[in-house]
Amino acid sequence: MAGHERPGGSRPQSRFMPGSRQPAHARPVSGSAPSWAGRRIGIGAALGRVAMVLALAFGSLALGAGYWQVVESQNLSTSGDDAAVIAAARNVLRGEILDRDGVRLAWNKRDKNDEPYRVYASNSLSGVIGYANRQFGTAGLESAWNAQLSGVTSADPLRELTRKFRADPSDPETLRTTLALQLQDAAANALGRNRGAVVMLNPRTGEVLAMVSTPTYNASAIANPTTSAATFDSLKADNRAPLLPRATQGLYVPGSAFKIVTSMAALSTGAITPATTYDDQPAAESKGWLIDGFRVRDGHHPQTDGRALDFREAIEASCNIYFAETGVRTGSEALTDYANRVGFGASLPFDLPTAASQVTNGGGPLPGGMEDRVELANAAYGQAEVLVTPLQMALIAATIANDGTLMKPHLVLEATGKAGTTNVNPSAVGQVVAPGIAHEIAAAMRLAVNGQVGRFFTFGAALKSMVVAGKSGTAELGPNQQPHSWFIGFAPYDNPQVAIAVLVEHSGGGDVKASPIAGELLRAWRAWASG
Amino acid sequence: MTAAPVTAGLRAVGREARRLRINPRFRGRELGLLLVVSFALVVGSISLGATRLFKEAQLAGEPPPVDLVVLAAPGIVTIYIVGLFAVHAAFVLAGRRTDQILLPTMGLLGGIGLLLMIRLPQDLAGRLGGLAQTQLLWLVIGLTIAAALGVAVRNDVWLRRYKYTWAAVGVALLLATFVFGRDINGARLSLTIGPFSGQPSELLKVILVVFLAGYLSENRPLLQEESTKVGPLRLPPLPYLAPMVAMWAIALGIVIVQRDLGAALLFFAVFLLLLYVSTARFSFVVLGLVAFVLGAGLLYFVFEHVRTRIDIWVDPFADPSGAGFQVVQALHAFARGGLIGTGLGAGLPSIAGKPPIPALHTDFPFAALGEELGLVGILAVLGLYLVLVERGLRIASAAQDEFRAILAAGLSLVIGVQAFIIAAGNLKLIPLTGITLPFVSYGGSSLLANSVIVGLLIALSERTREPLPPPRRPGRLRRLVDRGAA
Repeated sequence: MAGHERPGGSRPQSRFMPGSRQPAHARPVSGSAPSWAGRRIGIGAALGRVAMVLALAFGSLALGAGYWQVVESQNLSTSGDDAAVIAAARNVLRGEILDRDGVRLAWNKRDKNDEPYRVYASNSLSGVIGYANRQFGTAGLESAWNAQLSGVTSADPLRELTRKFRADPSDPETLRTTLALQLQDAAANALGRNRGAVVMLNPRTGEVLAMVSTPTYNASAIANPTTSAATFDSLKADNRAPLLPRATQGLYVPGSAFKIVTSMAALSTGAITPATTYDDQPAAESKGWLIDGFRVRDGHHPQTDGRALDFREAIEASCNIYFAETGVRTGSEALTDYANRVGFGASLPFDLPTAASQVTNGGGPLPGGMEDRVELANAAYGQAEVLVTPLQMALIAATIANDGTLMKPHLVLEATGKAGTTNVNPSAVGQVVAPGIAHEIAAAMRLAVNGQVGRFFTFGAALKSMVVAGKSGTAELGPNQQPHSWFIGFAPYDNPQVAIAVLVEHSGGGDVKASPIAGELLRAWRAWASG
Repeated sequence: MTAAPVTAGLRAVGREARRLRINPRFRGRELGLLLVVSFALVVGSISLGATRLFKEAQLAGEPPPVDLVVLAAPGIVTIYIVGLFAVHAAFVLAGRRTDQILLPTMGLLGGIGLLLMIRLPQDLAGRLGGLAQTQLLWLVIGLTIAAALGVAVRNDVWLRRYKYTWAAVGVALLLATFVFGRDINGARLSLTIGPFSGQPSELLKVILVVFLAGYLSENRPLLQEESTKVGPLRLPPLPYLAPMVAMWAIALGIVIVQRDLGAALLFFAVFLLLLYVSTARFSFVVLGLVAFVLGAGLLYFVFEHVRTRIDIWVDPFADPSGAGFQVVQALHAFARGGLIGTGLGAGLPSIAGKPPIPALHTDFPFAALGEELGLVGILAVLGLYLVLVERGLRIASAAQDEFRAILAAGLSLVIGVQAFIIAAGNLKLIPLTGITLPFVSYGGSSLLANSVIVGLLIALSERTREPLPPPRRPGRLRRLVDRGAA
């Protein structure tokens, strides 16, 4: 600083008598300064900018508060971890859960300390209703609708907004579900000691009639405080994983049942027509079809007499080679695209949390993320990296049954509180394929259950009382494991009222386990619907 | 004839007033705003009272009572409102042309805080019979301080002349806390001397602004013009970097020794803002931010408690019942509040008699307000802080010289930045720090320091055409000190 004279220091007066003199080198700021800015000492512009910065910072606070109080408000304040929900659970009787006809599925009892606990109508409900216990939390529908059941939130957004003005803001709501206890029990009985899942729903409305996961468990024993700890421990230790809700959270290889999705993509994009045949298909039946060095094999259907199959026959005979070729012709982009349209790639829009079904692991160079054409060819008939939930498979059948339109699946018909009833109306997710294409696939699925060749694969699914359409699947899992057995379908063929997906883990081909169970349950549905 | 003695008496009072130089000046805007504030507080108190009656009836299983217009803690609310009007009366009698917005704004913020303390369980803290009584005592003392400063401070020589003395006091305070401080929740924030205990960093922030105003105003021309070129960078003159480095080191020291992230962040942010206000040089801010990032990075990798704070901030839901408990509970409180809130007294579900968020009264009043007053209420509270800052910056821009301008700007920015830091921490916009929400949080040190700030701002706001009294000529010692600093 040598040689520099401090202007302030040399004339101390000027600092304290600012009107008198402006240092010659002070920056002129009056041009950009706001009107209230100090003119004499020239810090107005800097003050203005600092004020702007602070205003922006406070603006970000407002946005942050808006995020938590508006965007995330519902999610956080209704979760089971919320203090208000926990406090309400101690004091308020939970709303009851009813089936669609008003039969009680879950209600309350009081222990000797007069504290309420939950009781459930049947073990068959365990995979969908779940449980509610103060110590072990909630699962299933009890968890998803916890806030409404314990009365801290209303299903009606308008009532929610005016909650604070009501005399008693706590209003537990009774839920009338879409489930039919009779079908629920029938499904659990049909699965018996097998591990598996059944989903039955109305394809026209998306109402879930039955959703069963086996092995079931005794949810009342978890809810009852005297037995909850022991029950919970033994269930967690059980290696059959009874606590896993298989219908929504289990991910399985679909096998041939996935050919319906490939058909949606191929027919919609025009990659094939119903008349398409492949000249090399009959010959490949014996020695396999070669793609990029990989041999797609098909040892299942000797009955086709060396004839090239068209689309309906290929579905009926469940021809892997036909669908491998069709998949390659359709392309991985269209296949993943149509799979995503019917629900793959993300959690399903549903009351309960669902695992996301997938066509591929992703990350590969092909459009849609597949590795190569070999993966594409194998995925087209439901092997490779395709993984699905039973609910997803039921939705595929429901989409075909509902003329190509996917309805949003739901579990609750209405929520009734002191102030009234909120209805949950059916809503469409979207048109997945054109009605004509859905009808073409439906016709093929009819053959697959009732045709001369088809019956061989779907033994037990065909009924005398009504026409069933469907598709079986045998999910090959490798040399040392029994395949999963699948059946998806709907009935009656002319006017579909119920769609179904049946999965039986490690039980052999589709004809062995899943198809007869589906036939039995459709018969039960017929009895329930007409009685 | 009967009026004669009265008239004579009034004249005598007038004569006496003139002799004592009392020259009352009507403050209409302040009076009006205080009436609005009082109305708001009474309504809040009634809301609290009604909610309480409701809850009691519900617990007893009785139908809700018909007559609900009952004040909660009427004594406490009345004393506070009387206190506000007493300060107003003092300002009227003093007859100065000072700011009329600051007192009602501070009054409303303090009142909202008081209602919150009335509503919380009284055994959370406080030695004076309960949370609300203790808070009321501090509020009254704070109002007295603000009134005294607003009435009596006409001369700022005692602030501007002794800036290094103030700096020394500040450093001494800091050292005392380092050495004698008591650890609470892993942070050494509180200093106990005899029966008194307090948080020195609250007082320190006022001292810091006074020192910075003195230092920056004196060296402003040099800081503005001079520069050292290092490559393409135009750095401030190197000798003037020293205080900046010192400031940075002090902030780091506070974090390391006191573990007080909030105070460190506040000091450094206010320092940078004032540096920019006084020099208008953006390069300083960039340099400061680089230093901040380096310091923060260093702390993250070296100190466990800093790392914990950051990790909680990144994902509090990773451990919602352990490390992230407070933050998650606060976010739940905001979510429960929604758009219009649950209503005063109707939120904060107590589990086993305790509110769901630990340290609610000191660190999370913003989340409590978010739940009970909703997004609407929170925006109003944020608006009140912006009003405080706007008044301060307005006073700064109308100030007659640099010292007063930087002082006023600094004092108001301290409040604004502090409110931002804790509110942003509550909202998970930045890592949470244990700093108070000015005027609302429970606690004496914070209330007193912020009252000093408002009192000084009111004093600085006086509009007068007369030039300031010339200072005494600086003595030889001071010239030496100044050169040393340069």
